[in-house]
Amino acid sequence: MKILRMAWRNLWRNGRRTLVTVAAMTLALWSMVLYTSLMEGMLGSMETTLLDVELGEIQVHADGYRERPSIWERIEDPDALLQALDETGLRSTARLLGGALVASGDVSTGALLKGLRPERDALVSEVHQRLDRGEWLDPADTKGVVLGYRLARTLAVEVGDELVALSQATDGSMANDLFRVRGVLQSLSEETDRATVFLLEDEFRNFFALEDGAHRVIVRSSEGQDLAAAAGLVEQAAATSAPGVEVRSWRDLLPGLANVFDSAQAAVQVVAFVVYVVIAILILNAMLTAVFERIREFGVLKAIGVSPRRVLALILVEGALQSALAIGIGLVASLPALWFVTTRGIDVGGLGGTAIMGVAMDQIWTGAVSPLTIAGPVFILLFVAGVAVLFPAIKAARINPIEAIHHQ
Amino acid sequence: MGAEPIISLRDVTKVYRQGSVDVHALRGLTMDVEAGEFTAICGPSGSGKTTMLNLIGALDAMTSGSIVLEGRELASLNKKELSELRRDRIGFVFQAYNLMPVLTAYENAEMVLWVQGVDGSSRRERVMGLLEKVGLKGMENRRPSELSGGQQQRVAIARAIASNPVVVLADEPTANVDSETAETLLELMEELNREQGVTFVFSTHDPQVMERARRVVRLVDGRVASDERR
Repeated sequence: MKILRMAWRNLWRNGRRTLVTVAAMTLALWSMVLYTSLMEGMLGSMETTLLDVELGEIQVHADGYRERPSIWERIEDPDALLQALDETGLRSTARLLGGALVASGDVSTGALLKGLRPERDALVSEVHQRLDRGEWLDPADTKGVVLGYRLARTLAVEVGDELVALSQATDGSMANDLFRVRGVLQSLSEETDRATVFLLEDEFRNFFALEDGAHRVIVRSSEGQDLAAAAGLVEQAAATSAPGVEVRSWRDLLPGLANVFDSAQAAVQVVAFVVYVVIAILILNAMLTAVFERIREFGVLKAIGVSPRRVLALILVEGALQSALAIGIGLVASLPALWFVTTRGIDVGGLGGTAIMGVAMDQIWTGAVSPLTIAGPVFILLFVAGVAVLFPAIKAARINPIEAIHHQ
Repeated sequence: MGAEPIISLRDVTKVYRQGSVDVHALRGLTMDVEAGEFTAICGPSGSGKTTMLNLIGALDAMTSGSIVLEGRELASLNKKELSELRRDRIGFVFQAYNLMPVLTAYENAEMVLWVQGVDGSSRRERVMGLLEKVGLKGMENRRPSELSGGQQQRVAIARAIASNPVVVLADEPTANVDSETAETLLELMEELNREQGVTFVFSTHDPQVMERARRVVRLVDGRVASDERR
C-alpha cells in the first residue's frame, strides 16, 4: 500500500512528464483499438463476401475442370450429388458456367454466364442479397439476367436494358439470345464485378444446348464445423453419387487469400508492436529520467534497509499506474470511436471500389468488436510498458547506496 | 556506560581506487564504541570520518581488518544480511536530511518500521510518540518541502531511532542548519541518548557538537590521533 502511495505521488512530482507519457500511451492504445476494430471489420466483411456470397466453403468440379475450364467438363449427375449432400446435412447448390460475348448497343465484352436455380442457390449463397439496383433472378422472368457491377458499367446498361449474348453451344451451333437486365450487383469480387452474368439454369441450358450436368457444386459447412471434416463428408457423398469429381475447400482454391486471413491477426499485432515500440522508447526515457533524478532517494532507501526487490517494485508500480491510467482513458475514449466505426463506418465508395486480392470491400467500411479488439492492444501495451520500465527499475534496485547518496 | 563494546573496529583499512591511484582512506583504524555513548568523530577533510561511518553502517566494505557489531562480524554477512542489519540495528542521519519528498513527516518517520513489517497500529503509536518527542507534533502531515531544515533533520532523527537501533550514525548532522537550530538538534539527540539510551556516533567539523560530545575521537590520515572521554 505504501509502495502504491509513493508510486502515485512520485508520478505527480513531474506532472507534465507523466501527462505526456500517459497521453502518448493513451493515443497509441486508442488508435490500436480502432485499427484492430477496422481490420477485424474488413476481414469479417471480406470473409462474408468470399464465403457467403462467392465461394462457399467447399466446391466440387469435374476432374480437370479447374485446370482447363470448359463447358464440356462437367459433373454428370449433379442432382444425385446434391441429394447425397442433402442427406449429410450440408447445404449445396449447382451452377453452370460458360463463356460468352455479351453486348449492348455498340459495346461488347467477354463474360462468364452463371446458370443457377434461385431457390436452391439462396440456401447457399447470399449473392441475391447483394444487389446494387434492380432485382434478383425470378423463375417467372425467364430472360432476366443480373450483371456484375463493372460489367454493367462497361456495357453502359441499366435495369430494363436489353443484352445480347453470343457463344458456341455444345452442339456446335451458334448460341445467341436476347436478355433483359433485371438487376446489377454491388461490388463483390474482381471476377464477379468485371465479367459475370447470372441467369436462370433453364435459360443457360437452352442457350448452350446443354441438357444435363453442372460445372460446379458449391457446398456450405455448418456453423463452427471443421473445414477438413466437412470436405471429408463431401468426398464421401461424391464417391458414390458423382465419381470422377474433385473436392476442394476454399483454402485450396484460394491459398493466397487463406494466408491473408491467417496472417491478418499477426499483422495487426505487428503493427501494434511497431507503434508501441515508439511508446516504449518514450516510457523508457521518462522512467530513466525519473530514476536519475531520484538516485539519492534510492540510495537512502537502500541505506535504511529497503530491499532491492521493494525498490524494483516501486518503479514497476509507477509504470503500472501510468499504464493503468492510459488504459482507462484510452478505453473510455475508444468507446465513441468504436461506436462510430461499427454503426456508421467509413465511406470508401469514393475510392471507386476497393478490393484486396480480388475480394471487394464493402462501400461502407465498418469496424467489428470482439474481445480481441480490446484485449490485444491492451496486452501488447502492458507487455511493452513492462519491458520499457524494467531496465530503469533494475537500475534503481541495483544502485550502490553510498554512490547514490553522494550523487550530485 | 556499558562495559561491552557494541561496535568494535580492529585494524580496519579502506583503500579506494581513484583512476590509477590507490587512496588510503583508513589505515589500520582500531576503536570500540560502547552502548549509550555519545561520540563525535572529528578530523580534517579526508581524514576518514565518513568512510568510517559508512563501514560501521554496513554501507561499504572494508579492505582489511574486522568490524564487529553486536557480536556479528560484518565481513561475514552477505548483501541481504547486511541490508537487514541496517534496517533493524542501525539508524542513519544524513547531512542533507535525505527524506523522501513525496512522503509526509509521519510517513518518512515510519518508513523503517514499515520495511520491518511492523503492523499499522504499532507503527502509529511509536511514530506519533517520536514525532512528539522531536517537537513535531501537529506537523505529521507536512511534506519535507513544508518543513524547515531543522524540522527535516528532526524527522530524519525520528526515522533513525524509530526501530530502536543499537546505534545511530550521523554524518555531519548539523552541517546544513544554523547554529541555533544545531543547538536544539544537539539537545534533542542528547536527550534521546540520556533518556532512551540511544547510542550516537557523529562525524563532525562543528565545535558545538564536539563540545557537547562525551567522547571525541580525532582522526588524522585514517588513524585515531586522539580519543578523549569526558
